[in-house]
Amino acid sequence: MNPNLYNSGLKLLHAMSRHADVIMQVYLSGSLDESSTTPQVIDNLKKLGILWRPEPEAELRLKSAVRNLLENSLQDERSRQIDANIGSALNGLKTLADHYKEALHHGRFAESQGHLNDLREHVYSLTESMSNSVRILFSRIHNEFGYVASIDAKIRENELAQSQVSTMLQQIELFQFDVLAETAGSNRELRLLLVVTLQQSFSRATQELSLVQARLLELLGRFREYRGRTRLLKGFLLHQEQHPDFQPADYSALSAVPMLFNQASGIIKPAAADVYNVAHETDLQQLVARIKALHRNDKPQTQRSSGKVSLDNPAGEAVVENKLKQAVESYFCDIIDSGQTVTALQYWQQQQLECDAEVWIYRVLDGYQSLPDEEKQYFELATHGHADPVYSGNYVVEDVELGLK
Amino acid sequence: MMNEQGRALEQLLSGAFICQTSDETLWRVLKNNDYAEKIEQQLNVLNRTLTSCADGEVFYAAYQHLGDDERKVLGTQFQETAAGLLPMVEWLLLVQQAVGNDMPLTQGQAIRLPELQTQIEDTPAFKEQLQKIARYRLFNSLSTEVDGQLKQLFKKLTDMGYLIRPNPEKQIYLATGKVDYLFDVLKFIDETEALSLSQQAEQAAMQESLL
Repeated sequence: MNPNLYNSGLKLLHAMSRHADVIMQVYLSGSLDESSTTPQVIDNLKKLGILWRPEPEAELRLKSAVRNLLENSLQDERSRQIDANIGSALNGLKTLADHYKEALHHGRFAESQGHLNDLREHVYSLTESMSNSVRILFSRIHNEFGYVASIDAKIRENELAQSQVSTMLQQIELFQFDVLAETAGSNRELRLLLVVTLQQSFSRATQELSLVQARLLELLGRFREYRGRTRLLKGFLLHQEQHPDFQPADYSALSAVPMLFNQASGIIKPAAADVYNVAHETDLQQLVARIKALHRNDKPQTQRSSGKVSLDNPAGEAVVENKLKQAVESYFCDIIDSGQTVTALQYWQQQQLECDAEVWIYRVLDGYQSLPDEEKQYFELATHGHADPVYSGNYVVEDVELGLK
Repeated sequence: MMNEQGRALEQLLSGAFICQTSDETLWRVLKNNDYAEKIEQQLNVLNRTLTSCADGEVFYAAYQHLGDDERKVLGTQFQETAAGLLPMVEWLLLVQQAVGNDMPLTQGQAIRLPELQTQIEDTPAFKEQLQKIARYRLFNSLSTEVDGQLKQLFKKLTDMGYLIRPNPEKQIYLATGKVDYLFDVLKFIDETEALSLSQQAEQAAMQESLL
């Protein structure tokens, strides 16, 4: 190992990590703002070959090797560079293989190992650059050239990618496996590298490139469709501006109406509920349960509205309440006096009470329940009514009968 | 429960457009030739036939035989379509410009109403454009605010079937296949009347770039 090479490599990498922010800034903005950092740093970076000045008056830029390193490692979608120089790489491989064979032939094993390592390095970098190029193409397709805004720019990008794919394919055609196999001869190591490894990456690359090509064509078709549609819209507007009274002919009056203008009108309306369908019973019941019960007063509107609640005389309400209470009391007293059982409705009829019959029954029940226990035991309350015809367990009270025990 | 075939039939008979965005299950049913044939037979009983547009991606029911009554329906329908063309075209262009991705609206594309609204509110030219569109009889908005105009527009477009709102709690709308149908109509008119609309637009764009 060459210690000088090792040390200068370390120095370069250290410098890169020390000035990482400067490098990333240049990578993102394209050129260096020289006022943002000190001249020493710039000089240092220039000396190490990280930054360079393409022309005397131009701004400082990143060397393409550094830029490529970043683009590849960051999988940056802006990267459009595709290394398609497979032909010269293949020639390099052949030369190295010849070196290796010659060294082996002369029994210089240490030298031959060095050549083999070099060869390996070159084969792997070739396969890597091929898969990288395909990956770059894919990543650009993947977000449909999202890094440019307009459809026209997308179409241009697409055309660039297509030309790159065809260059790649042309370059890949330079793989001549019979020549490579001949170069490798019967050497096991060489065969492994030159035939097996390269062939695998070759077949993978061709397969993926054909996929890329198909996707690119599909995308191009779609972009053209979009462009066509936009033009259609804009053209229609222009036409309307120039010919404001433009009216398309009535195509529906043609003898053969184009299918586009033949749209049948809707004929289906919502269906009605079937109450006899057992399967729908629970659903319908839930619907019924949600209906609010309305207790309508059957007196006409004029009478109802005349019974206004006025807050001026809150005692008025209390008078009605008291009257009912007194009526209940006198009903109880009447039973005590006569000693006979009288139903609530009979009493209601006898006394011609003004209130509603149902209200009256409730008041009687209420009166009975609110009696103190020792008084309650003198009375007995019986309810008259019938069981609900539909819902078992429900009992409808029609009248109550009160008597002394 | 009704099966897919029944649902497809119901949708078609109620005059709906079926596309992948509006109802993917039904769309798949209609894409399947066996089912489509059965549905076609059932539609034929009611003098209707299964039709598709936008390269077979959007389905609807058309009349099988045209009598006087059917022609009358189609005539009014055509008048409506023709009257709605200009407002729809202007609206499509407005959305395309305001969203800023230079892509015309197609089936399945989403429009985020709040984003669109901020874009339009921030750009006076879009605001003017919207005001003009909202006042067309098709949309008939009386509002003077961007908010009200957009709401009315989107409500109308949803009612007409150009947009759907998959989640009623979110202000995200999806364009349906009916938008593609509209483009088909435009293309048809362009070709039949020999308007060469695309060339007109291209020439105008070239003149603009020359100026």
